[in-house]
Amino acid sequence: MPIRRDIGSWAFALNRLTAIGLTIYLFLHLIVLGRLAQGPGAYDQFLALTENPLIKLGEWAVVAAAILHGLNGIRIILTSFGVGVTRQKQLFYGFMLVALFIILVFTAKMY
Amino acid sequence: MSQSASTSYAGPRPGENTWLWLIKIVTGPLLLIVLGLHLTVNHYMGSTATGLMTHDDVIQYFQNPIIPAIEILFLVTVVTHSLLGLRGILLDMNPSRSVLKIVTWLLVILGVSSVTYGTWLALTIASLGT
Amino acid sequence: MPQMWNITLRVYRQKENEAPHFDNIDVQVKPDEYVLDAVERAWAFHDATICFRHACHHSTCGACGMRVNGVEKLTCITLIRDVVHDGGTLKVEPLRNFPVVSDLAVDMGHFYRKMERVSARPIAPVAEAEIENPPSKWDPDAERAQYLRLSDCIECGLCISACPVMATTPEYLGPAPLAAAQDNGIQRKPELLSVVDCEDGVWRCHSAFECTAVCPSFVDPARRIMDLRKQVVSARLGKLFGKA
Repeated sequence: MPIRRDIGSWAFALNRLTAIGLTIYLFLHLIVLGRLAQGPGAYDQFLALTENPLIKLGEWAVVAAAILHGLNGIRIILTSFGVGVTRQKQLFYGFMLVALFIILVFTAKMY
Repeated sequence: MSQSASTSYAGPRPGENTWLWLIKIVTGPLLLIVLGLHLTVNHYMGSTATGLMTHDDVIQYFQNPIIPAIEILFLVTVVTHSLLGLRGILLDMNPSRSVLKIVTWLLVILGVSSVTYGTWLALTIASLGT
Repeated sequence: MPQMWNITLRVYRQKENEAPHFDNIDVQVKPDEYVLDAVERAWAFHDATICFRHACHHSTCGACGMRVNGVEKLTCITLIRDVVHDGGTLKVEPLRNFPVVSDLAVDMGHFYRKMERVSARPIAPVAEAEIENPPSKWDPDAERAQYLRLSDCIECGLCISACPVMATTPEYLGPAPLAAAQDNGIQRKPELLSVVDCEDGVWRCHSAFECTAVCPSFVDPARRIMDLRKQVVSARLGKLFGKA
């Protein structure tokens, strides 16, 4: 547990957490989409389920996780090729600010 | 104090190597792009431009052959990236060589079956519109 | 008139065949003294069974690394006033991710063997070192090659202790060995490629940058590991296309 540690450890923990969350979502999504092949009845019935606010929150969380994971990943790619290696903290904070902005924008569009 | 395990150093373990890592970091940004496309289209296209809201919307959307192509590309990319990442997490749990081998094979099987299933699904949906 | 502070030194104790525990020892220190001084005082006047390592007392030998209030430090250069206040408690523990030999002393053998495995250089020609602003008056190569400098890394092990990946397995090469491999360079020493291009090598790093945060000697191991990745990718791509 990265307690009382450099921000880098928290960045790593965040990336890993979002990775696991996104993976679970991925496989659920693939399974659920199988309903499309069962015809309009099955699929539209399922769509009705997604109106549930808890599901909507989950969907929001998935997109937020994807944005966080994606931008964090770009930071890793950059540092792995030497870009910004001495400014790793600033890079992380910068990307998280961008992530926050994007998340706010898409939240507004979603609701 | 006991000697630590690596006095008999059996050589570096093959596994997470340059190629696997490169695949992971190439699929990453690729995913961001394709995911962006995927979300935009799903929520802004379709008959009423408010997204693919019904079964029929989806079927119609899949009639253009480039769509199943992109979705399958998306599927392969995301499954590869995700399962490589899962394997990375497993490596941090310090598995023995045999456990690592078994889990790697399980992941490969999971990946291949997911891609197969997804491809079948995409093509089925496309064919439903005819 | 330098004031004396009364602090409680909370020392990790572990002897063979005993359960680990903490001892609270009251010591008097000046705020401008160092944590190592406090430990020495506790040993000299309170409990001579406390086991710890120290040598140069000026951050060039790397012997006195410990966790001070949970954070890796070289205790010979860590000021008392930076880590505790008058009347406070100062926790001192051995480095993480090393087997404890006795109290604050850990077994560095596995780590040293890893440094050997990557042929870590304690001395290197200045021409090969990454120096900012090298003197312009130097004549090219021939003359510069004469000058040698000590490597920045003092092999203190703080980075190993701070690294979250190191905590998952002792087989991971670790920041200092990887930094030493980078310092050698894959081009100069191609045999290092197979040593670092593996799951316990350069790809295991998760970019936490904890190592750079605690390094007392400006090695910046995280930056070096990233540079090593670049070197490894170049070497692998080179081999792939070189053969084609």
